Amino acid sequence: MGEKQEVWQGTLALMILTTLETMGPQHGYGIARRIEQTSGGRLVLNYGTVYPALLKLEQEGSIKSEWGTSENNRKAKYYSLTSAGRRQLRRETRDWQRATELIARFVSPEPSK
Amino acid sequence: MRALRVWLTRLRHALLPLLPSDRDEITDEIESHLQLHIDDNIRAGMTPADARRAALLKFGPLEAIKDDCRARASIRVIDALRQDVAYGCRTLNRARTYACAAILSLALGIGGTTAIFAILDSLLLKPLPVRDANQLVALVAAETGQDALMNYHVWQAIRTRQLLDAPCAWATDLLSVRQGNETSGIDAVWANGTFFAALGMHAIVGRTFEPRDDVGGGGPDGAVVVISHAFWLRRFGGDPAAVGRTLTIDGVPFRIIGVTPPEFFGLEVGRSVDVMLPLETERLLRRIPSRFDSPNWPWLHVMARLRPGETLAGLSAMLRAAQPEIRAATMPAYQKPELREAYLRQAWSMRSAANGSSSLRARYSSALFTLLVIVTLVLLMACVNVANLQLARTIARRSEFSLRSALGASRARILQQHLVESLMLSTCGAVAGYFFSRWAAAVIVGQLSTWASTPFLDLSPDLRVLTATAALTVLTAVLFGTFPAFRAARSDPMHALKGRGTAWGRGRAFGRSALIAQAALSFVLLVGAGLFVRSFAALAHRDLGFDRSRVLVAVLDSRRAVVSAGERLALYERVRDAVASVPGVEAAAFSTATPLGNAGVRFTIDVAGSTMASAAHNVLVNPVSPEWFQTYGTRLMRGRDFTARDTGRAADVVIVNEAFQRRYFPTVDPIDQEIVLTDGESPGRPARIVGVVQDAAFTSVREPIPPTMYRPFTQGAEKLDLLPDVSFSIRAAGEVPPDRLGGAVAAAIARIDGRLSVSFRTVTTYLSAYYVRERALAGISLFFAVCALLLAFAGIYGVTAYSVIQRRAEIAVRIALGATRKGIAALVLRDVGWLAGIGLLAGVLLSMWAARFVRALLFGLDPHDPSTFGLAVLAIATVFALAAWLPALWAARTNPSSVLREG
Repeated sequence: MGEKQEVWQGTLALMILTTLETMGPQHGYGIARRIEQTSGGRLVLNYGTVYPALLKLEQEGSIKSEWGTSENNRKAKYYSLTSAGRRQLRRETRDWQRATELIARFVSPEPSK
Repeated sequence: MRALRVWLTRLRHALLPLLPSDRDEITDEIESHLQLHIDDNIRAGMTPADARRAALLKFGPLEAIKDDCRARASIRVIDALRQDVAYGCRTLNRARTYACAAILSLALGIGGTTAIFAILDSLLLKPLPVRDANQLVALVAAETGQDALMNYHVWQAIRTRQLLDAPCAWATDLLSVRQGNETSGIDAVWANGTFFAALGMHAIVGRTFEPRDDVGGGGPDGAVVVISHAFWLRRFGGDPAAVGRTLTIDGVPFRIIGVTPPEFFGLEVGRSVDVMLPLETERLLRRIPSRFDSPNWPWLHVMARLRPGETLAGLSAMLRAAQPEIRAATMPAYQKPELREAYLRQAWSMRSAANGSSSLRARYSSALFTLLVIVTLVLLMACVNVANLQLARTIARRSEFSLRSALGASRARILQQHLVESLMLSTCGAVAGYFFSRWAAAVIVGQLSTWASTPFLDLSPDLRVLTATAALTVLTAVLFGTFPAFRAARSDPMHALKGRGTAWGRGRAFGRSALIAQAALSFVLLVGAGLFVRSFAALAHRDLGFDRSRVLVAVLDSRRAVVSAGERLALYERVRDAVASVPGVEAAAFSTATPLGNAGVRFTIDVAGSTMASAAHNVLVNPVSPEWFQTYGTRLMRGRDFTARDTGRAADVVIVNEAFQRRYFPTVDPIDQEIVLTDGESPGRPARIVGVVQDAAFTSVREPIPPTMYRPFTQGAEKLDLLPDVSFSIRAAGEVPPDRLGGAVAAAIARIDGRLSVSFRTVTTYLSAYYVRERALAGISLFFAVCALLLAFAGIYGVTAYSVIQRRAEIAVRIALGATRKGIAALVLRDVGWLAGIGLLAGVLLSMWAARFVRALLFGLDPHDPSTFGLAVLAIATVFALAAWLPALWAARTNPSSVLREG
């Protein structure tokens, strides 16, 4: 169980945006499942927690939502990226990579050692 | 940017649920999420029940997430407010009697305050409805700060020197228009040609007059008149064809050229102008004396505009520098050096004329401010009362508050809920009060109208009045809501668990201090009302030296009867004989002025005599016919009345009043003394005193009666018989009401000459104009004092009843231990009595202090009048006793066994 991780604050938004970019329009349940799958089961996620995050992203204009029908004919609310959302995703991905690279320099063993 | 966007979306969401169509979208979305998950689980082989449980488990804390979403979607404060309002509606709906009582008392307080404020606002604060009213300035006498009235020559001198920017001159006047056979009075303004241009006003129909119309005899269109919107509607029904028609004013035809905008009522606040005429056409009316030619008839207001960068002080200084020259150039032909000196000395100054000028201000401001204090006190009492009621309810609902705080409601939340409820009450009160105020303000202004003038005040609500009402609403809510709210917020959750709480000592202390405040406040209001009512009564019953109720006055206009000035006297004598023989008439006489009647005609004269104690200046003179004193019931103390033999050819005689005798003949018998009458310009005329009459009021009902002299109508009245109007005073016999005589008298006059027109008013009607302020003050203060007493009654009753309920157990024990019923009732009454006593003491001290400020408004009464104070004490004590009696009775009837069994 020690392998499993809580979602870090602030990273959930980035995960949602990435998911939406790779999968296209998707409902909340689909997004939550996909995040869990992508983590390869290493992430504990209460599915409910994606909703406040989705709401926040929508209010910020990064995503938009629309009621639609799922493949098995259920009513569901579909989220999709807006162009502002794409820009945000690119920016945040870049920031994230820089941050992880930087952190990696401190915490990873030096290859030259 | 992004934060703003988020905030706006939230605001939209916060306000959106006010629309009924909106649904809770979060719930829908979560429902759909669970359904999708359950479908997947079932496909994976679970039973439906397991599938649902697993989905819910995986979802996490459902309600918390919903709450989180809702909180994000909306703005918490607004959401909470919405909840509080809905909750408040429900609780107030449950306590309807309470809510009605609270709203009614608040409506009374807020409405009364708003009404008086609206009147003060329109009288003192509202700017004139003209272009850039704040630039307008008026010429005033430096000494008094009142508008300095100028004669025509001074106005010309000021204008030709070009001292002021856009100067204009105007004067108010009472004229008459004839329609068919009936003459009706109209309010007129004389104004110079640049008047409308200076005000920046355009006609809504036709045109306003210009300098080319302002020439003697009329301009290109002849004599012209601009009419007001109100007059246009009243007289012509708003017909545009009225422009171009002729209006006959004081017998002279004027051509109507335009109508002013509806909001314009003239420059005098409190008066609504009907017609506006060019200044120079005043001569057409051929009045005697013409105001133009009379150098010592000051009648013009002078107004101008401040140039940009100019100050009032700068303009005043400039005027004062130019003044000696203007004064010297326009000196009237005064004989007396002291008059000439006084003329040169009077200094001018400027004031802002943004809110016009008004004769009502000086007369009513102090009375209105007094009323404002009165209604504010009533509002304060209403607040105390509602606070008390709120507190009692808070205490009754304490288990509810305890439960809510036990369930996790924060103190701030309970406080907010409480204040919202208070604000709802005060808002309802304010809305009701606002409508009450519109009505009350109109009624109060209506109270000020008399036979001579109907005050016109623009009472339409403006920003100031609405702001004042809103501020009052919030203020009252804070005043009456805060203390109970804090009590509620301090609810101990343990109360909810124990089922019943201990008595809230602090709440009772508040109730007791509220009781003291109510006693004190209602005492102050009662003393105020008592003083005003007694002062009005004293004024109304003052011996004026003549009969108030038995005399009818007929004003005779002989302009259309073609008689020469010389023939008029004979005509008047014939009319007097005819009127005197009408059945029901006891006596009839005529004079130019009647006591306290047509205010326009006053004569004064200088008197000197060898045996007089001092030379008299400006003694009031009334030229009267024989039998005048008999008609008015003024007693002849010594000597004789005028007779038919006292004609213009006989030796001059006069009758004086006792005040005259006291002042000028304190030691000598005035009968047969000779005095000299002068008008300051021509050499004097000797006259013999033939009688002394009782002091009778002539110009004022309030002031002491001044030395007055009566002359035969026929003597020294060369100018008088040129006046077209004369007043016939008719004394009704015995029980005949004087106003019933009108028809018969009019018929008798018509038999003499059908062209004579006559109008009737009783002396009572004339008199009522003099009591307007006192009557209004007495009536309104009495009304609010009664309201205050009712509020006090309700408050005392509530507090006492509540304390009896709280002390039920104690009272039961006392009875069980042998206390008599009488003793228990006395216990309750004694308690209330103490509070009433303290409140009365405070009220007496407060009233003693406050009464000094109304001294000027009282007549013949000391502001610390002991009997008024005594009566007020008695009234308050009675109200306290009555209000406490019923709860005391309940207390005495307590059944100890049933109370003690309850535990």
